[in-house]
Amino acid sequence: MLMANGLVKRFRTRTGLTTAVDNITMSVAAGEVLAFLGPNGAGKTTTIKMVAGLIRPDRGQVVVHNMDVTGRPALAAARLGAVLEGSRNLYWRLTCLENLIYWGTLRRLSPSEARSRAVELLRLVDLEQCQHNTVQTLSRGMQQKLALCQALMHQPKLVLLDEPTLGLDLVSAQVIKAMVRRLAGDGVAILLTTHQMDVAQQLADRLAIIRSGKLMLTGKTAEVLARYSRPVWRIAVSHPLPADRLAAVRDLGWSIEQPTPADLLVTPPADDPTVIYRLLDVLRPQPIRLVQRHQADLAEVFRQVMAEGEALL
Amino acid sequence: MTSLLVAEWRRTVIDLVRYPLETVSMTVVMFAVFAGMFFGAHYLTAAPFGGVNLAGVVIGYTVWTLVMSAAGFMGSSIQNEAQNGTLEQVMLAPWLTVQIFLVRSLMDVVEMLIPILAVLAGLVLLSGAQLHWRPLALLPAMMTVVTAWGIGLMMAALALLFKRMSQMQMMLQFALLFVIMVPVAAMQGVVGAVLGLLAPLTVQVSVLHATLSVAVPGISANLWWEAAADMALWFGAGYWLLRAADTLARRRGIVGHY
Ligand SMILES: Nc1ncnc2c1ncn2[C@@H]1O[C@H](COP(=O)(O)OP(=O)(O)OP(=O)(O)O)[C@@H](O)[C@H]1O
Ligand SMILES: [Mg+2]
Repeated sequence: MLMANGLVKRFRTRTGLTTAVDNITMSVAAGEVLAFLGPNGAGKTTTIKMVAGLIRPDRGQVVVHNMDVTGRPALAAARLGAVLEGSRNLYWRLTCLENLIYWGTLRRLSPSEARSRAVELLRLVDLEQCQHNTVQTLSRGMQQKLALCQALMHQPKLVLLDEPTLGLDLVSAQVIKAMVRRLAGDGVAILLTTHQMDVAQQLADRLAIIRSGKLMLTGKTAEVLARYSRPVWRIAVSHPLPADRLAAVRDLGWSIEQPTPADLLVTPPADDPTVIYRLLDVLRPQPIRLVQRHQADLAEVFRQVMAEGEALL
Repeated sequence: MTSLLVAEWRRTVIDLVRYPLETVSMTVVMFAVFAGMFFGAHYLTAAPFGGVNLAGVVIGYTVWTLVMSAAGFMGSSIQNEAQNGTLEQVMLAPWLTVQIFLVRSLMDVVEMLIPILAVLAGLVLLSGAQLHWRPLALLPAMMTVVTAWGIGLMMAALALLFKRMSQMQMMLQFALLFVIMVPVAAMQGVVGAVLGLLAPLTVQVSVLHATLSVAVPGISANLWWEAAADMALWFGAGYWLLRAADTLARRRGIVGHY
């Protein structure tokens, strides 16, 4: 649905040229959620705006729904919806319903189509009871939900979300996440940025991590997590293990770390999912509270990718 | 194009109804101004506008109001949208930026014309005054407003690139007043023709003036052509400049900056 090829953007600043985005290539398929991660100033917003046509790339192409929209912002706009970061996205003097109808008709819906679509969307995000309130009276979370509805009025096949859950409470964030899942289920391609790794981990089918405008890592979320998971098991026991048990474990060829006396991090000689039974046999009948294979979370992956990037410089 | 017109028209109506105080105060101002003209008209007919009747003064004032709106609206609108953070979303609509802001400016003109026409109708009924004017005057009136849109598009181009426009707007009013005062019609020969072609509004205003004068106007075909060419030049230049500014702003990544 979205293909971005070799996007480059340099900005003229007081100190000279800065390269905000440096040769980024990525794609998002229909029904797929791509989380675009990176530290502050990495170039996420710049990339999103290049896709949206608000920033014209110095080099590279943006193809949306098989149409090259590079440098043709009105064409790009007709094919996508976007919620931009730090931007209001809505008119404060209009009510929720009026806003949605306005943005819908601006995107070529008839007023009656826009109205029924608006009512449907407001119901989906739990805002129907506020539909006649002006936007200036809404809370941050309500505004963000409304901004999402606004971007969806014309049923775009590609949706760009720049930090959609920033500053939202758990319930509002949950509503936004549910909408993202629903859209993906309907075959919409979604590109989102976030600094909340748990949000990315819950939503993203694929990841792209950038740093200083360069793509550091892309891949399916599950595969990336698996790749960064180490074959380490954590065993928590109620009482410190007797020394002979520890020795028996070492005799099996396992290495042992003991962050605390009741906590073992053990690495087997071979990474085999059934290897743990041999360890448990040795430990029997010691009381065990927890057995867990190490599972990298996205925060850990992110830290590690950043550290690797640091090492490359 | 109709969906753009419909969208902006609905927004204008909502704004008029939601904030009636603004509409009412505008109507009151218009009423005061026009009442002054109607009941003090005999002063005006005597002197500085010599030969222009009440209808001429009324139309002249109305056109001046619309010119100010057409020349200033798009620039301040872009500045406001940038300040409020909605400009990016507007520029994400499937229209050219120049189309959207032209339509909005048109709506602003319509929004001003409604109270003006209402007040005028009221005053005519109230005072029993007769307005004598030739429908032909509408043509140069429209040409004047369209030329002012050319200036407005240029101001919009500047606003898109620099965003802060308040000082510029103040200067614009003086510049327009000055330009309109240039007595092109009186200038003969090459100098007059060249000046008329380059300076915005002067030719259109002198044609308007001629169609409004009490005496049967003798407007040369040349002056009409000049007015039309000047209008096309300014509007075309403005349109091109705003499109160029649109591209440049996107290139520099400053669409949403304020
Ligand atoms: N219009 C501009 N002019 C000059 N420099 C810019 C412009 N827009 C962005 N930059 C620079 O480009 C770099 C990337 O910025 P960008 O906003 O894309 O980062 P980001 O990944 O979205 O960061 P954050 O997580 O803070 O939102 C930054 O160094 C920023 O200062
Ligand atoms: Mg950003």
